[in-house]
Amino acid sequence: MDHLLQLLVSGVVTGGIYALVAMGFVVVYKATRVINFATGELMMLGAFFAYSAMTALQVPFAVALAVAVLASASVGAATERLVLRPLLGQRAISVIMVTIGLAAVFKGLAQVVWSGEYRSFPPIFPRAPVALGPIILPSRQLYPFLIAVAAIAVVALGFRFTRTGIAMRATADDQAAAFSMGIDIRRVFSLAWMLAAITAAVAGIVVGVIGGISPQLGAIGLRMFPVVILGGLDSIAGALVGGVIIGVLENLAGGYLDPLLEGTSVKEVVPFVVLVLVLMIRPYGLFGTREVERL
Amino acid sequence: MSHLKRGATFLLALSVALPAARAADDVITIGACQPITGRFAFAGVALNAALVDFVAYANEKGLVKGKKLAYVFEDSGYDTDRAVACFKRLMAQHSPVIMYGESTGLGKAIAPELTSRYKVLYGSTSFSSELADPKTHPYSFVSGPTYSDQFGILLEYIARNKGAAKPRVAFFYSDTEFGKDPIPFARKRAAELGLDVVAEVVTKVGAVDVTSEVLQLKKTQPDYVIFQGYVLAPIPEVVRAARDFGLKTKFMGTFWSMDKSIIDKLGQDADGYMGVNPYAYYYEEGAPGIAAMRAWNQKAHPEEKYRPSSYIQGWFTGMVYVEAINRVLAAKKPVTGENLAAALDAIKDWDTGGVTGKVTFVDHKAGVGRVYRANAQKGVFEPASDWIYVK
Amino acid sequence: MLIGNYKETYASDEAVFRTPAVRGWMVALAVAAMVFPFVAGDYLLYLVNLMGVLALAALGLNVLIGFTGQISLGHAAFMGVGSYTAAILATRFGLSFWLSIPAGGVAACAAGMIVGVPSLRIRGLYLAIATLAAQVIFEWAFTNWTSVTGGIRGINVPPARILGAPIDDDRRAYFLIQAVVAVHFLLAANLRRSRWGRAFVAVRDRDIAAEIVGVNLFRTKILAFMVSSYYAGIAGGLWVYFMKVVTPENFPLSLSIQYLAMVVVGGLGSIPGTIFGTVFMTMVPELLKLGTGLARAVWPDAQSYLFPLRDVVFGVLIVVFLIFEPHGLAEMWNRLKRFFALWPFEK
Repeated sequence: MDHLLQLLVSGVVTGGIYALVAMGFVVVYKATRVINFATGELMMLGAFFAYSAMTALQVPFAVALAVAVLASASVGAATERLVLRPLLGQRAISVIMVTIGLAAVFKGLAQVVWSGEYRSFPPIFPRAPVALGPIILPSRQLYPFLIAVAAIAVVALGFRFTRTGIAMRATADDQAAAFSMGIDIRRVFSLAWMLAAITAAVAGIVVGVIGGISPQLGAIGLRMFPVVILGGLDSIAGALVGGVIIGVLENLAGGYLDPLLEGTSVKEVVPFVVLVLVLMIRPYGLFGTREVERL
Repeated sequence: MSHLKRGATFLLALSVALPAARAADDVITIGACQPITGRFAFAGVALNAALVDFVAYANEKGLVKGKKLAYVFEDSGYDTDRAVACFKRLMAQHSPVIMYGESTGLGKAIAPELTSRYKVLYGSTSFSSELADPKTHPYSFVSGPTYSDQFGILLEYIARNKGAAKPRVAFFYSDTEFGKDPIPFARKRAAELGLDVVAEVVTKVGAVDVTSEVLQLKKTQPDYVIFQGYVLAPIPEVVRAARDFGLKTKFMGTFWSMDKSIIDKLGQDADGYMGVNPYAYYYEEGAPGIAAMRAWNQKAHPEEKYRPSSYIQGWFTGMVYVEAINRVLAAKKPVTGENLAAALDAIKDWDTGGVTGKVTFVDHKAGVGRVYRANAQKGVFEPASDWIYVK
Repeated sequence: MLIGNYKETYASDEAVFRTPAVRGWMVALAVAAMVFPFVAGDYLLYLVNLMGVLALAALGLNVLIGFTGQISLGHAAFMGVGSYTAAILATRFGLSFWLSIPAGGVAACAAGMIVGVPSLRIRGLYLAIATLAAQVIFEWAFTNWTSVTGGIRGINVPPARILGAPIDDDRRAYFLIQAVVAVHFLLAANLRRSRWGRAFVAVRDRDIAAEIVGVNLFRTKILAFMVSSYYAGIAGGLWVYFMKVVTPENFPLSLSIQYLAMVVVGGLGSIPGTIFGTVFMTMVPELLKLGTGLARAVWPDAQSYLFPLRDVVFGVLIVVFLIFEPHGLAEMWNRLKRFFALWPFEK
């Protein structure tokens, strides 16, 4: 029983971190209908920015976080302005390919600037694990989880209650109507990309704290598709719920199925099987907008 | 007209800048396709630097009588297609007698043509046991122990140091070629040595969450956990999580996870982390070979304070090649791939000046290594055993 | 621009090679292709062989993306299915390549059906995501379904044999690869101008209108995806005979993305564009290597900075092409041809 409880709780904690990564996708899709394949690399850049701030500039973690956020926001804004705006109105394949190209550019630049070595953050959080009864929560998971939840809450509330958030949602719903209501679409897109870069940066720092930083860090971005699809491509609440569900499922698979298999692990493939099932049964996910047309 | 002139100038510059196609008779060329970018970059850069350095060192000290070594390399980015292209290109342009490859993938892809056409001595970054098979890969040599050998050394160590009870061992590896290569052998050897393999945990490289895996360890309570197939992530996470969950397991790793940097990453959790390294560490004393390496670096690269294990691997590979070349020259034979391979096969109890133990090539590999233990305070690995030899 | 060119029969109007000039060029190309392996160096020959296989797979992807407007992120995985099928049939059942390569194509086609049926039932980008899942799941299967695929060791394949003679060097492989590639390119060109080809394009351009005209959207999309997977499978089968070994690590996501780049840069929907894109994407790293070699003379440290630039150049090329030349290299080629056709009149 303890075993199961531990798996569940750890799954929720990991899921929170997945949700943060997924939110990077959702924010962009929600505002611009673009699936951003460079989310993983934006995460990686954010992590490197924070790392450089802490090591080269010798600032404490909170400041490094702020520096990374600002730097990533600029990257996001520059990306939107220089690369995505010229492609407004073009086919989806073009925009997707552009984000893929960007991902390659970011990855290559990171390798030039920071080299391919693995780095790790200096110790940030207290070492001791936190115990909740029989459940043990390692500090490197718990604190990032709290950061992730805080970030998600801020973004979700922002979308709901601020004018900018409403403007973004309106643009996502119907660009033409939003435009005719006086919303500056271009500014909304800029903000959406900046926000996506910021959430990706925070997610990247979180992942970097757990697993180290290298130009390969972005690979986790694509593993978040099951979360995004399960939750719904344009729902932030969906990202959170989807993340938690996937995190729990992964842990359960790892905890109960993997020991039965010798020499293999199904843990990473289970989310993608779930993805396929979701596509077959309920393609818009749990909370996504229901705009499915069956052929 | 200016277009023509520009084009001609460009072509002229190209022809001047391109390296010489044919090697002169008293120059022995070593070619390499190194993973300088890509997933293996952290190792490729160091390996390449080591070979560049060793060739310069060998030339300056005149290690090869009467001949100079030349080293040409290219980046193949840990991508088999590119690596094969790189291999063919270097062979066509420079006709090296020794080629160094970036991965097991390249070794396997190029094997048929290596045997039938190219016939050059081939070494690679990989310690995969697949490439140490004289029957299928007569020109491929592993300059050290294969992963299976390394596992064997660790299991030997465990068996030698066991207490009263049967030691419980768990294998923790990645689901890649790198991770799975030695496992079948490891299972067999553990059974032979009377060790109990209580768990086999498989993960993706760089997993974010390892809770379920660590819980598996918690359930099965192994005394030792051996990592295979990881360089850094998720080892620190697993070690720390295991401590958090109150496990007293001793963790061990093979070559790629035994670089000094892992002690830095683990911090105080590094204490007690052990593993096998075929080569000595850069900071070790009492090894003339390592001292010579340090002296060279002091002279040529004073800004480099430390060289990782992959550098030592590259340097030692250079030593192996020079040893083979010298033996062939001493026997008054032409320096060809076949003769070099034969010379390596004949190497027995070769004293490497402490860079590694006494080297004997059996089945195209040298099964020697030492178990090291991490000293978290000093931030270094210290020898926990003498050189262990396995077949 | 064709002047004074008129057709008298439907057949001649619908021909793949329309004018005597084009036919002449095709013959010249064929002759050059025959002579090439005897004059080219080893390395170039290898590259051309590799490009042939990649171009074949890229053509399949172009049928899906360029003709039908659907996106696949798992093309490498289908190539893997073809490779493994061919390898298993060749080693375990002793089939010759005449059977194992087409079987690879068919197997990939079937895999395509399994992936496509659920995801193409819905409008939108879901195929892209489903193929991403397929990529991950297939890669996992290649590594872990050890009894069938040989796991991490992969499968070693003996060389193909034609009339007893083994195809074990690049020159012989060249003829086999070019033959298969040429046939499939002609097939694709034919497909383009057939009823199904027009249906593909209709679905891409305005699927509502296509539906009204009577095109069955689902069936059309599925067919496109099956054709694309078939091409990937054939390319995979050829590849495994060319490389003589297949391992699970040969079909990563980055290869799928490379195919996308080839198709996009070459020109979506253009058949010669596929070749341009493949050649371009394969040769750019070579040019970069040349560049770093040159730079090394003046800047010894150049390589450590310039090697990672391969990724940057790759990405920048994609971005630049998409922004400034969305129809790819094929469009640049067409412009060049038009320029010469219209000279001295303005473009």
